[in-house]
Amino acid sequence: MTIRESGNLVERLFWGIGSALVVIYSLLPVAWIVSLSLKRSADLGDNRFIPHVISLEHYQAIFHDPQFSAALGNSIGIAGISTLAAVILGMFTAYAVVRLEFPGRRLIMAGALSIAMFPPVSIIGPLFNMWRTFGLYDTWAGLILPYMTFTLPLAIWTLSAFFREIPWDLEKAARVDGATPMQAFLRVITPLAAPGVFTAAILVFMFAWNDFLFAISLTSTNDARTVPAAIAFFTGSSRFEQPTGSIAAASVVVTIPIIILVLVFQRRIVAGLTSGAVKG
Amino acid sequence: MAEIELKNIAKRFADIIAVKCANFTIRNGEFFILVGPSGCGKSTLLNMIVGLEDVTEGEILIDGQQVTKLDPKDRNMAMVFQSYAIYPHMTVRENMTFPLKLAKMSEQEIGKRVEKAAQILELEELLDRRPAALSGGQRQRVAMGRAIVREPRAFLLDEPLSNLDAKLRVQMRIEIARLQRRLGTTTVYVTHDQTEAMTLGDRIAVMRKGEILQIGMPRELYDHPADLFVAGFIGSPPMNFLPARLDGGRLETPVGTCELPGDPGINLQDKDEELVIGFRPEHLRLITDHDDDPANNLNFEAQADIVEWLGADLIVYFNVTTEDFDAMALPQDLEIQSGNGSQRSLIARIDPDTGIKEGDTVKLFLDPKDIRIFQGRDGRNITS
Repeated sequence: MTIRESGNLVERLFWGIGSALVVIYSLLPVAWIVSLSLKRSADLGDNRFIPHVISLEHYQAIFHDPQFSAALGNSIGIAGISTLAAVILGMFTAYAVVRLEFPGRRLIMAGALSIAMFPPVSIIGPLFNMWRTFGLYDTWAGLILPYMTFTLPLAIWTLSAFFREIPWDLEKAARVDGATPMQAFLRVITPLAAPGVFTAAILVFMFAWNDFLFAISLTSTNDARTVPAAIAFFTGSSRFEQPTGSIAAASVVVTIPIIILVLVFQRRIVAGLTSGAVKG
Repeated sequence: MAEIELKNIAKRFADIIAVKCANFTIRNGEFFILVGPSGCGKSTLLNMIVGLEDVTEGEILIDGQQVTKLDPKDRNMAMVFQSYAIYPHMTVRENMTFPLKLAKMSEQEIGKRVEKAAQILELEELLDRRPAALSGGQRQRVAMGRAIVREPRAFLLDEPLSNLDAKLRVQMRIEIARLQRRLGTTTVYVTHDQTEAMTLGDRIAVMRKGEILQIGMPRELYDHPADLFVAGFIGSPPMNFLPARLDGGRLETPVGTCELPGDPGINLQDKDEELVIGFRPEHLRLITDHDDDPANNLNFEAQADIVEWLGADLIVYFNVTTEDFDAMALPQDLEIQSGNGSQRSLIARIDPDTGIKEGDTVKLFLDPKDIRIFQGRDGRNITS
């Protein structure tokens, strides 16, 4: 008994300290950025972790900057549309791959995977030239397309794993109950695949939201420049000043949607909705 | 309510034949059973009737109306699955209203029907629960409820009791029988369990390897099985089988000879043809002192090997030798243990009051009219 308890204690200490270290390690830079964003410009170099005086001047500055507001709008629009399109297309593809018998199913999955493995930097050059020819350079579509290319495989693989878990019988039951194939898909399969849909959506959204490479290479004005790219164009209030505070404030602002998204949907992702469908 | 007519239905998956030429009619209001070992095509046949599976050949008529190519949603049949297939994201009530909403029924009518079905199946208190919070038996009931609210033309049940424990299975079996009588809806029920088939069915179709071997009332199948497979599959404990041959109009078996049972109308081309005789465990009886002269009977002595006391019945296993007879070819998928070497085990169902103990040697008799004779080569029953 005592041995087990002490074993438990050691184990709990090990996991407790371990997790604490990991959390501190990953959150420290974030905390530093938050701290920087709240300092006055004059205090930026004071090497203090906790700001001496808390000031929102950088936040006011970035929101007064038309460049940042435009970029925020572009980011939300481009990431949102990419996510919606990738998840819807991914759902249909994954469903077909899992449920239907047709030649080349494995080929589709393997092809999707190989696209996901492709290093984006290698297609930037050709894409730049192509987009200039097609008139897609510096447009929303010009960014949405490559984002979908790289996130669709992710969505297809995630969703097909979830679809595979849904008992076939449920769909058959819906069909016998009088549903068309589309109704069965929308009213029975989709709600059950919801955790998968949210997981896929978050992954796709984060890819599009965080992307810097495509955004910096394929945009040139506020028409389509997203926040990560826009931050690189920040200038200080005078040419002798580093834009450190504004960059920090902008970074905090772009992180917030992601945090909200994950917090809101983590329940849906974790919830085991399929339990109780069949014998258990 | 409906009459379901199958005309030369066949189903092939690539090069596998799942169902071979099924040709029968399920009558209006009938409780019809499809029974057979796993993989015999019974579920495929059911799926074809409901429309979940395409028909390769033949046609299906419901009340004379062609439905072969009709989508499942337009056939107005309800199905209960082995896995129940209750929608886990809906409450019991939502599960039951789902088919009615799809049929665009009025809210009022939906409420009325759900209430009625819930009352019949005693689901009233569970209506707002989710499937995850229900027991196996309750889920089974919900699946039944979802089927009956629609008042469909036919119920199709695919092994609905297989996932329940033994006691609940018997209870639900009775409930299903009662429900079917009450509603009078044509019902097709698939099972691999011959007990369920015998107790529930008005008529039973025995299937094996995609083929329908015999269709009949439980009593017909039990008393006059068409062949060795049906004989061995129907009945528990199973029928006893022994090798036999004809010798000058008498039946010669490893345990003695007797008159041919009645007029079997046997037309054997080959006098030396190998035969298999079969008889039910209850037909193997003990000879007691005050029995009539059992001269016409097949009398023999045997030693009780194993005795199982079941309360009302005593199941006794006897060993007999079949030395000068060739081994019989019984259908493999019957899974009747054929004894080892020249030993065969016979099962008798005997009155427990006789007090037989393991190791006792007793005198047994068999009335020739209870014997069924099967051809060795194709297993056909040649007794009339």
